[in-house]
Amino acid sequence: MRNSSISRRAAGCALFAVALTALAGGCSDAGPPSSGASAQEFTIWDPYPQFDNSSDWVKLLTKCGTDAGVTVKRTGFDTTDLTTKALLAAQQGNSPDVLIVDNPVVSTLAEAGVLTTTDDTKVDTATIEPNLLAAGQLDGKTYGVPIGANTLALYYNKKVLDAAKVDPTTIKDWASLTAALAKVKAVGKKGITFSAIGTEEGSFQFLPWFWGSGAGLTQLDSPQAVSALTLWTDWLKNGYAPNSVINNTQTTSWQEFASGAYAFAENGTWQLANAKKTGFEYGIIPIPSSTGGTAPAPTGGEFVTAPVRDDTGRYATSAKLIACLTSSDNAYTTDTTLSYIAATDAVQGKQVAANPDLKVWVDAVKAAKGRTSDNLGTKYPKISEPLWGAFQAALSGGKSPQDALKAAQTTAAASTK
Amino acid sequence: MRRALTTVAGLVLTAAMLFPVYWMINVSFTKDTDMRADPPHLFPSDGTLEGYRAVLDQQLPYLGTSLLVGLGTVAVTLALAAPAGYSLAKLRPRGGGVLSFILLIAQMIPGIIMAMGFYAIYLRAGILNSVAGLILADSTIAVPFGVLIFAAFMSGIPEELTNAALIDGASRWRTFVSVILPVSRNAIVTVSLFAFLWAWSDFVFAATLDGGGEHQPITLGIYHYIGNNNQQWNAIMATAVVASIPATLLLILAQRYVAAGVTAGAVKD
Amino acid sequence: MIYLGAFYAYPLYRNLDLSLRSYTVRSFVHGGAPFAGLDNYRTVFADPTFWPALTRTVVFTVVCLAFQFSIGMALALFFRRHFPLSATLRAVFLVPWLLPLIVSASSWSWMLNSESGVVNAALRALGAGPVNWLTDPRWALVSVIIANIWIGIPFNLVVLYSGLQAVPPEIHEAAALDGASGWQRFRWVTFPLLRPVSAITILLGLVYTLKVFDIIWIMTRGGPADASTTLATWSYRLGFGSLLPRFGPGAAVGNLLIVMALVCGLVYIRVQRGQAR
Repeated sequence: MRNSSISRRAAGCALFAVALTALAGGCSDAGPPSSGASAQEFTIWDPYPQFDNSSDWVKLLTKCGTDAGVTVKRTGFDTTDLTTKALLAAQQGNSPDVLIVDNPVVSTLAEAGVLTTTDDTKVDTATIEPNLLAAGQLDGKTYGVPIGANTLALYYNKKVLDAAKVDPTTIKDWASLTAALAKVKAVGKKGITFSAIGTEEGSFQFLPWFWGSGAGLTQLDSPQAVSALTLWTDWLKNGYAPNSVINNTQTTSWQEFASGAYAFAENGTWQLANAKKTGFEYGIIPIPSSTGGTAPAPTGGEFVTAPVRDDTGRYATSAKLIACLTSSDNAYTTDTTLSYIAATDAVQGKQVAANPDLKVWVDAVKAAKGRTSDNLGTKYPKISEPLWGAFQAALSGGKSPQDALKAAQTTAAASTK
Repeated sequence: MRRALTTVAGLVLTAAMLFPVYWMINVSFTKDTDMRADPPHLFPSDGTLEGYRAVLDQQLPYLGTSLLVGLGTVAVTLALAAPAGYSLAKLRPRGGGVLSFILLIAQMIPGIIMAMGFYAIYLRAGILNSVAGLILADSTIAVPFGVLIFAAFMSGIPEELTNAALIDGASRWRTFVSVILPVSRNAIVTVSLFAFLWAWSDFVFAATLDGGGEHQPITLGIYHYIGNNNQQWNAIMATAVVASIPATLLLILAQRYVAAGVTAGAVKD
Repeated sequence: MIYLGAFYAYPLYRNLDLSLRSYTVRSFVHGGAPFAGLDNYRTVFADPTFWPALTRTVVFTVVCLAFQFSIGMALALFFRRHFPLSATLRAVFLVPWLLPLIVSASSWSWMLNSESGVVNAALRALGAGPVNWLTDPRWALVSVIIANIWIGIPFNLVVLYSGLQAVPPEIHEAAALDGASGWQRFRWVTFPLLRPVSAITILLGLVYTLKVFDIIWIMTRGGPADASTTLATWSYRLGFGSLLPRFGPGAAVGNLLIVMALVCGLVYIRVQRGQAR
């Protein structure tokens, strides 16, 4: 303060410039090898912040570490943060040894060169169900192992259906479902709730209907696709589904169902534990396809992956950790904790034996399909975004299903060229 | 009588303002099955304490960290912003306009971009996942604000006041400490308040820079209830309620102090 | 200055760099993104989302500022009269600021929910039809504006109140003796003295409002079908909102926002100069 303002400013500017160049220069360096983890400490990142150190999940991680002869440092991140965090960490050469991420993110991270293939790490994927593994495959290479899977089905409220005299077993196709909704509405109850929010979550919920119509993601404006979207918009128009679906997350939609006023809810495997807490009798049927039969629903659930590290010697231990986490016994425990369906036939059998209610979910998972499958990979996000734009526009009344999907196809085609 | 009426009006206004907060409290007591009841329940008559049980079991250590981060941020912000605001307002350095400009632009950078930049710096500096690092990062939200506020308030201080001190032979620094600071108490309180509030409610920096830390602030504690497929809203809201109680008390105390200070000053004049 | 350099210039530089190169997720991690000049900006301008988003940004900002400032000023004047509990109530007014945005924004979307929201329940009780606050393209922007005004009031209140405290009471008394009415005193005495503080409040409010994204994002995700997308939420959606980050265009939109703030900053400095003279 005592110096004249001019010299102070000059000094400041010089420092400013130095700081700037140092940082800019530092940015282009590859960065020093990570010193954060000692040879014996292995880092694991997962998207399960709800589990703290006393949970079975963290105990399992610790145990797998002990078995592999290392200590495990685990951090749980919010799932939306984790992608950015993983990319940032990779940019700075500070990736974790084991990274557990949501399955559609795997292809993005693989494309970014962040993940090793299972060939590099020698992780065995032979027993994993191929339709589940497909979400982690890109150009013939596999980038991770599913820890379990979840998917969507229709929960129903038995009391509401009884009141409307609807037998859930007769719902086999769209026509019978819509007829059931009409009966429910006629007795003054609410029909169906789902999530059509303008994010990936909404696309996830729309896909069973989209695929169930016979449409494919490479042609968003096909007549089948239009029929799927028309199904949704008609439900809204006729009051079979509430207007709030346009802004519902899957949690919100579940809360609506849990209030007991709705006949059906499209929701995921993970709500099973909550369904028992609702206090009313519920049942589950698979999502029907347009002309009958089970519609392919998208697979959800996370993959265990091993990010690229400078020290390739660590891969052997990482592989041991991954094998431990996905081994039959441990997968059974983990999937039970997460309320997921296992990714291998053997463990699925074990789950059904322990809890026959899971049968419908195991079937649904077997019929399910990865969003990034069909070698769509990182094209999927570029298709999903116009898709959710389309159903948002159609449901809120801005555009007809036909026009909305046509616009979406134009955008998607332009960005995936 | 009029004063009483004014108080009533104040109470009504406050109630209107706080209705969303009341709604949050209401939800924090609500059972999962009643959350989307139609029509909504105005009172959690058939409520649950589940949310609070979860919070009190798990969240108390987070509160301490938040408090530490909040107070630390206030200290750092005041130490940096008050002198800077003073020099901007009174010493009028050349390029002062440019500097205010940079400060303004600085405010525009999206938090997440700042956080990404810090991540790289912090990793090299080795202060990732530390409370000190978080304080430093949080202060970056408040410092530009602080400087601009101090500059705006201090430019209103009459020149005669400082000139008198300077003529008496006090240095610039002395003048600043013993003349300027005492009369800028309002600005100090304002800036401290906001620095504290920002640090208290910051989410982006905490998530990016302290996501793996031993000591995490309360905003990250909320993550416990946001799973990747569903969220426990009563626990989330309960966390927010529990988190805001100590901070509210602190605010009320601070406001008392300010009000007292101001009246005392007025009497002396 | 070092502090400034390290903590502001670097992120700013990163943002510029991001916006001028054609980054893919791969080159984001491994470096070597080709320099693309203004391509990202061209992409952004050509996007059909751009102009509507710009219009909404302007509407959002102007409406929010007008209401926040006038309500904040009115409340500041109100609290200036010392009455029992005034200090406590003033402190309680700040509570909205204490809440993490995810919580306050969620509370609002809860209240405005078209099926089970308390606002619609109240409307029904008054005999009015329900409004699809968050799901009707005509109302979504209004809803987020209301929520944002609510969040911005404490800021305006506190800053303006402190500003009022700095106005010496003698001036007021003098004006009152001269027979000035309440409004005249405010208009001709208080307000001019409050000008520097008001200007900075509006300017800062502008900057904060321009970059608001969390509230909108949590309440509507910019939807339905972009009806409440502003430049800030759009920037976020491009950069982080989908599975495949598009950092380049995201950063470009962010920089456009910075330019907008810059223009307003220039106006501010002009005004300030005018005052100094």
